[in-house]
Amino acid sequence: MFRKKGRLLAHVLTAVLMLSFVGCGEKNPGTPTGQGQAETANLTGSGSSFVYPLLNQQIEEYRKGNSNITINYQSSGSGAGIKQVSEQTIDFGATDGPMTDEQLKATKGGQLLHIPLTLGAVAVTYNVPNAPKELKIAPTVLADIFLGKITNWNDQQIANDNPGVSLPDSKITVAHRSDGSGTTYIFSDYLSSISPEWLSKVGKGTSLNWPAGLGGKGNAGVAGVIQQTSGSIGYLELAYAVQNNLPYAMMKNKEGKWVPPSLQTTSAAAAAATIPDDMRVSIVNAPGADAYPIAGFSWALIYKDQTDKAKGTALVNFINWSIHDGQALSEGLHYAKLPASLVSREEEMLKSITFQGEPLIK
Amino acid sequence: MNEYFRKYKNLMMLTVFIGATIIALIPLFGVLGYVVKNGLSALNLQFFVNLPKAMGLPGGGMANAIAGTLIMVLIASALGIPIGILAAIYLTEYDRHSWLSTGVRFATDVLTGIPSIIVGIVIYTAVVLRMGNFSALAGGLSLAVIMIPLIIRSTEEMLKLVSHSIREAGFALGISKAKTILKIVLPTAAKGIITGAMLAVARVAGETAPLLFTALGNQYWSRSLNEPTASLPVQIFQYATSPYKEWHQLAWAGSLVLILMVITLNLVARYAFRSRSI
Repeated sequence: MFRKKGRLLAHVLTAVLMLSFVGCGEKNPGTPTGQGQAETANLTGSGSSFVYPLLNQQIEEYRKGNSNITINYQSSGSGAGIKQVSEQTIDFGATDGPMTDEQLKATKGGQLLHIPLTLGAVAVTYNVPNAPKELKIAPTVLADIFLGKITNWNDQQIANDNPGVSLPDSKITVAHRSDGSGTTYIFSDYLSSISPEWLSKVGKGTSLNWPAGLGGKGNAGVAGVIQQTSGSIGYLELAYAVQNNLPYAMMKNKEGKWVPPSLQTTSAAAAAATIPDDMRVSIVNAPGADAYPIAGFSWALIYKDQTDKAKGTALVNFINWSIHDGQALSEGLHYAKLPASLVSREEEMLKSITFQGEPLIK
Repeated sequence: MNEYFRKYKNLMMLTVFIGATIIALIPLFGVLGYVVKNGLSALNLQFFVNLPKAMGLPGGGMANAIAGTLIMVLIASALGIPIGILAAIYLTEYDRHSWLSTGVRFATDVLTGIPSIIVGIVIYTAVVLRMGNFSALAGGLSLAVIMIPLIIRSTEEMLKLVSHSIREAGFALGISKAKTILKIVLPTAAKGIITGAMLAVARVAGETAPLLFTALGNQYWSRSLNEPTASLPVQIFQYATSPYKEWHQLAWAGSLVLILMVITLNLVARYAFRSRSI
């Protein structure tokens, strides 16, 4: 009896194994559909979870015309993306925080380029009974709230910017990320740029020693804390605030104008910012009347010298498509478009990528 | 009076026991019910035969992740179960008290308590960096590393339960030690060993952290074991942390499939080996 059952189990296991392999064979996406195109190429990328939904959709769209190219992008987090591309276990990385000079020196494959793929805004969201949408929160007030110095919604400093709005006598609960994140980096970068006290006491980084508040894991976690806690305030990537129907605050930008976070105001921030040639730049508190002050780039990390011609060509062509035609997919997913002035500079960067000294696109 | 007190005490304790059992079952059925409720609506045939699709496109599935999980769990089992069981046999039958077995036991206990992401990072450094790419092999290997200590410990406990007199009976009849272990000790403990192995398989089937650094993930079919490979836990993790409701739905469906896979595995093992017991 024992043996018979054992054999049965073995048969079941063998069948499962064979089925899964048969599946692999049938669905193999390797056959080009007669586009007369170049060789096939399989690319692997990983990193930023922020850019994952956009890249995912761009790849699907791109492959409609280029079925000989497979691009596998996985959201493992910006830190993992930087580590893996530096160690060359993937073909390209993606990150929401620029690599440091030390990190750039430690790469295995030579010079890494930062190529902006998209832009994100960090929205300040809140859950206050009877509060209007687009509450106005001044930069210093925001810093003081997150420093734990302003502790009640009826504080005069909040009321000063919101005439005609009566805010309740309710304790402010600060919600922040408990895990390391690019969102925290952009948010703390902004607070550091407008508040000397924040800069000296807390500083900027992907994870911080928070002076006040409750932690939530991931954007989804922070959204949960805000939804469940009356009187809370926190920061989220814009897409999460929109998808969860949370109200978000208007911020005062460098020119003194009140601006809500939106795709247009985020693009405006990138258009007005001064961007150096290596593209590693923070665009928080950017100049420009329409610029939303808490915004940042997501970059692709690509080696300047590619070691495989087919892969390198496919990668450069895809990124080139992504910063041009691929931008059309941004808005449906709540990503801001790259400003045109920047796209032409990125094109020049892509032209500088070479295989054995030869540029991969002209 | 005394009689009533005893009855009363009995009733009290019985209530406490039943209460504790119910409390223990609440999370189990709560989780199961919640996953079924949320996952069932997104579950259809397409989910099992299609590849993942980009946000907003209908008909996305997780066929590659289901296959990837099965393949990596199989690799892990093929490596982990024999090594674990053989090591446990050595520890109980051949070498119960030497410095080697004490050392192995200590190491196994420590390994069981190590967070699984550390196993992932170790395999990343030792295998992925050397091979230069992520692969199902590396993923399977990291799962095997997590399985081995679990299996050693459970098998050892099962073998210890086999009465010494049974072994001695074998020796008395002139049967060699190897034959005694193979034909008498192992079959006697088989049910417990299999259950232990199945629990280990179920445990690694749901692991996310070690796979992020070894198999990475893939939105397509992998053409060989040496390519980045999708798995259910990683795919669920990526979808669950996204901002979009459509992806949350798919993550729920994926969780349901993962739970069903583990339950099926357990039931098959139970059915296949039910006729033997200690």
